[in-house]
Amino acid sequence: MIRTFRESSVLWGRLMRKMVRVKLLLFFALFQPLLFLLLFSQVFNRLDQLPGFAYDSYLQFLVPSIIALTALNSAFQSGIGMVTDIEDGLLDKFLIAPIRRSSILLGKVMADATRMALQALIIVGVSLIMGARFETGVLGVLMMIVLAACFGIAWAGLSNVIALRTGNGELTMMIGILITFPVLFLSTSFMPSALLPSWLDVVATFNPITYIVEAVRALVNTGWDWNAIGKAFAVTAGLAVVTFTAATAAFRKVIS
Amino acid sequence: MPLIEVSNLVKVYPGGIRAVDDITFTVDQGEIFGFLGPNGAGKTTTIRILVTLLAPTSGRAIVDGIDVTVAPEEVRKRVGYAAQFIGVDDDLTARENLILQGRLHGLSKTEARRRGDDLLEILQLTEAADRRAGTFSGGMRRRLDLGQALSHDPELLFLDEPTIGLDPPTRRALWAYLRELNARGVTIFLTTQYLEEADSLAGRLAIIDEGAIAIEGTPQALKDDLGGDAITVTLAAGMDKSEVARVAELIGQYSDADAARTYDGAVRVFTRDAASRLADVVRTLDSAGIHVARLEVSEPTLDDVFLRHTGGKMRVEEVKPRSRMMSARKPR
Repeated sequence: MIRTFRESSVLWGRLMRKMVRVKLLLFFALFQPLLFLLLFSQVFNRLDQLPGFAYDSYLQFLVPSIIALTALNSAFQSGIGMVTDIEDGLLDKFLIAPIRRSSILLGKVMADATRMALQALIIVGVSLIMGARFETGVLGVLMMIVLAACFGIAWAGLSNVIALRTGNGELTMMIGILITFPVLFLSTSFMPSALLPSWLDVVATFNPITYIVEAVRALVNTGWDWNAIGKAFAVTAGLAVVTFTAATAAFRKVIS
Repeated sequence: MPLIEVSNLVKVYPGGIRAVDDITFTVDQGEIFGFLGPNGAGKTTTIRILVTLLAPTSGRAIVDGIDVTVAPEEVRKRVGYAAQFIGVDDDLTARENLILQGRLHGLSKTEARRRGDDLLEILQLTEAADRRAGTFSGGMRRRLDLGQALSHDPELLFLDEPTIGLDPPTRRALWAYLRELNARGVTIFLTTQYLEEADSLAGRLAIIDEGAIAIEGTPQALKDDLGGDAITVTLAAGMDKSEVARVAELIGQYSDADAARTYDGAVRVFTRDAASRLADVVRTLDSAGIHVARLEVSEPTLDDVFLRHTGGKMRVEEVKPRSRMMSARKPR
């Protein structure tokens, strides 16, 4: 246990050093969500006048979706990083070291989680500047960040499956974009459930993003909704079991 | 007891390719053992099995008394490995890369730092120590990669084509350093497709072709085995294939080993008494009315050994980095 922690910390340290040095690694996944935050909050500004829209402003409604989008993007960055490490011969260097295979994955998960948390924090900061208010305060923000990072990790499992199966970073990025948009729009990310067409509302209930967005949305707008938070963590855990099982299998296949 | 013992090792990749086909050899403590062969001969597959990155299909591989399939982690503690494709993190400095490897091999922060400093000194990278590896030249990257393989001071070093892509002076400098390491007691197993490299470095070598060991011995013994010195007849330009074949037949009678070999426009025989046989060769060719451009007596080279045992398939190809993932995983 201590050994695994020590080994994965060393590998976490490498990825942190890279992120501090190559700023793009931190900001890459943020550009598009920030653009969406700025544009959507303006374009859909008047949506708050619609009957059935129960939020103070569209910005208040949108911030959780942007946090979720950032986590989705950052998750695909994880898979691309995996391909880069394989192509650069670094994975071999880790495999030849007398460390546990699991430490390699854990170090990566820890680094992904750190990056995702920082990115979520940046979104929160920008939202504050834009005038958003966070109902549950500092503790609520902390909970949002934990949720975003956990969900991002579960989603990163998927991106690593694609990355390890294709062995191609560009392809992974393209598939990532292709998946992210439908997944995002087929949820309650941009429209409240009440205003969605009924078929889409049904689809949204089967979409994991909906649960994350709803939990964060409650934290931003109304308060501690433990029911929503519980559901969000349960969905995240279920998703993680599926994606990590597949990712571990794909990893084993690549290293054997 | 030998440091490496390989017996009846076989590796069949999914899809049925027999990359390594029943090879057996040993490497003793303190040796530089060379594995010489063309691309796709099974060199990388063998080395990846020995460093525990690949599981063999059958057979046994024992490194320092440990079966690689039984206790791979114990093997990893003892060996250093520099792959054909350099594995350095371009965003980290040379020093950081070395410290990272040291830490992964269980050194404490201070130990890893000290060892890193030593290696930078030894590999003459001290001045570039705090520059990002991404700014390094090919030779510097290769040295850094070698340093990473040495970060835990292993007694056994595996090098897969360590000088591929290096210019001749850098290559020679690396050879000198490998000899120095060996003199300090490090056993080195290296693969190469450069005959010159095998000849210059290896105390003993095996020629591997199509997954099997064609022959094994010291470079000198392998050359002696050819049956004496070489007489090479280079024919005048414009001779067609049938004429070259006729010359080969004519002078083949003077060979003390195999039949005469033909290269483009040249014919070579090996004979124990080259000096006196030379006169016979000249007379025979003269009376047959064959115009000779050049006649040469030379000592046999590893080139000759190689051609004899592999049917002349040696060719140097630089592998493009783009395809490294696939080629590292599934050598043809």
